[in-house]
Amino acid sequence: MHEMPQIITIQLNGEPFTLPRCSSVSDLLTRIASEEKTVATVINDQIVRPENRSAARLEEGDRVEILIFAGGG
Amino acid sequence: MNTLLPEWLNPAADEARIREMLSPDSRWTLEHLAAQSRAITLRRFGRTMTLYAPLYLSNHCSSGCAYCGFASDRTTPRRRLEQEEIRKELAAMKRLGISDVLLLTGERTKAADFDYLRTSVATAAADMQRVTVEAFPMSVAEYRELAEAGCTGITIYQETYDRARYGELHRWGPKKEFLERLDTPSRALEGGIKTAGLGVLLGLADPQEDAIMLYRHLRHLGKTYWRAGLSVSFPRIRPQTGSYQPPFTVSDHLLARMIFAFRIALPDVELVLSTRESPAFRDGMAGLGITRMSIASRTTVGGYTDPESGDQGQFDIFDDRSVEAFCKALREKNIEPVFKNWAHAYNGPSSPETDERAPENVNTWN
Amino acid sequence: MDSLHLGSYTFSSRLILGTGKFSSSSVMLEAVKASGSQLVTVALRRFNREQPEDDLFTPLSAIPGITLMPNTSGASTAAEAVRAARISRELSGSPFIKVEIHPNPQHLMPDSIETYEASKILAKEGFLVMPYIPADPVLAKRLEEAGCASVMPLGSAIGSGQGLATAEMLRIIIRESNIPVIVDAGLRSPSEAALAMEMGCGAVLVNSAVAVAGDPPAMAEAFAEAVAAGHKACRAGIMDKSGMAVATSPLTAFLGPAS
Repeated sequence: MHEMPQIITIQLNGEPFTLPRCSSVSDLLTRIASEEKTVATVINDQIVRPENRSAARLEEGDRVEILIFAGGG
Repeated sequence: MNTLLPEWLNPAADEARIREMLSPDSRWTLEHLAAQSRAITLRRFGRTMTLYAPLYLSNHCSSGCAYCGFASDRTTPRRRLEQEEIRKELAAMKRLGISDVLLLTGERTKAADFDYLRTSVATAAADMQRVTVEAFPMSVAEYRELAEAGCTGITIYQETYDRARYGELHRWGPKKEFLERLDTPSRALEGGIKTAGLGVLLGLADPQEDAIMLYRHLRHLGKTYWRAGLSVSFPRIRPQTGSYQPPFTVSDHLLARMIFAFRIALPDVELVLSTRESPAFRDGMAGLGITRMSIASRTTVGGYTDPESGDQGQFDIFDDRSVEAFCKALREKNIEPVFKNWAHAYNGPSSPETDERAPENVNTWN
Repeated sequence: MDSLHLGSYTFSSRLILGTGKFSSSSVMLEAVKASGSQLVTVALRRFNREQPEDDLFTPLSAIPGITLMPNTSGASTAAEAVRAARISRELSGSPFIKVEIHPNPQHLMPDSIETYEASKILAKEGFLVMPYIPADPVLAKRLEEAGCASVMPLGSAIGSGQGLATAEMLRIIIRESNIPVIVDAGLRSPSEAALAMEMGCGAVLVNSAVAVAGDPPAMAEAFAEAVAAGHKACRAGIMDKSGMAVATSPLTAFLGPAS
């Protein structure tokens, strides 16, 4: 029986990113020092709402988008 | 039932200009209006006049309009054309060159009801390039059936937008219902009729106020049923001995001013003049703003196969020139008479995209 | 003073400001405050750890009376725009969405077909859809029919500063519309904004002209004043520009003397 790896790799805003297994979306936000209130989080094309982020566990290969509002016309 | 006037009848932001144009005391002189109206007509419609003729299918009527020769309390003998007679009348009209017919009836009666009208439309649509109807207010479903039978336009005059005056003049019968009549062009366009013709019977009430409300009605329809064609007629009551005396007289100058103002304010709307007006007036207005006229009219029931009949018509014809004579007059003014401005293949309901149409159904032309 | 109504929102300012192309966020925020604008556009972008100051949510939300209008810029299909809209609404809490789909990065002209498809879907989902479109009168009516809160026809290409190149088409759209018409893109100077309002626009959207001005906050203020003036003039009833053309021989002689 193989040991489960302690870290997983996800796609974060199009780039590979490693983080501990069982990390939640909230954990990820803390790691990248983003504000909870000012970002939108989308995992594999599903929006993850702020109230669900601490329960949402990230898995190997997840495509994660962290989005903010920037300047635009 | 809602008894309130619709919001679109209220004064609108964009009517200051037409109000000014309609006023004989304004800085808009008649000659100035005529020049501008002529320029717009030329740009938008060219040097053409679309021609049509009316065919009265029946003079049965259930209503009591104070001003009408066919009101149900008048002693006019009543009759209706049967389908074979309609075909004969249409054939006679076609021999005159007419291919655009306006079918008329009075208000709804058992003798000339919806089924009769629909059947008659189908009969006419088989023979004529274009069939329009001036009859009684119908429901959306009835208008859809009429459109499917080949009717591409309806004309319905509000007569007057002055609600109090309207009540005095329409003494009994279904035509008493002011709001239902007001809503009629909307129902027709909802039902798939392609064009709606509006108008007031000038003289029944203050003509300038009626003209402004007619303008508001047209603006409302144009913005709501934006795929639809719109036309305006300018029937004017002529005071005649023994018959209804209108409270307002509309002079030739005022009528001309009104037509010019409408052309300038509504550059894309068809403006129509009937044979109720004199040859001189019709010839003069051709090219200045009017784009559609009736010709060789009979306002008796039928009348094209038997022009000598002594029957009384709905109104007296003033311009009784033959088709040839009238077309000659137009050509002398460098205007081309157009008998066919439509193709039979387009005689069906208007069909805007609806949500129900699935995107997969794009290959219906296979 | 009459206000601009969009959905259940009421705005006293008829100047909508874009927040892109400014030299810095602080200049942009000064400009927004100086303009009195109550509706500003923002774009959805990936969070960048290196540049946390890109995030405008907090500073913009701190301005009293501000409502955010996210745009779908970056999308080149209806599906992408719809996705961006749904994400944006989650983040902003605002029902406004500017549907902006321009697949060609050179001229940035909006794709009418994708915009229509996206707008139909989003209107049904309860968004206040503000579609950015070419000045196409028929498209404008179809979008109105589909339930959009306004239409936003371009004056000229984004950033081109060519002003109201589409003036004739805009006049038709304004005349026939039952919903506010908001000119967006191409305005270069406050006088053009005033002219758009005189023509009957419900509001104007300006970005480049303010962002690249020498003094953006002052320019924002100038635009605000121009928009207010133009709107006031429109309501006051502007004099007709009628030429007194008279034919060489009288056209109305056939009518005889006035009775």
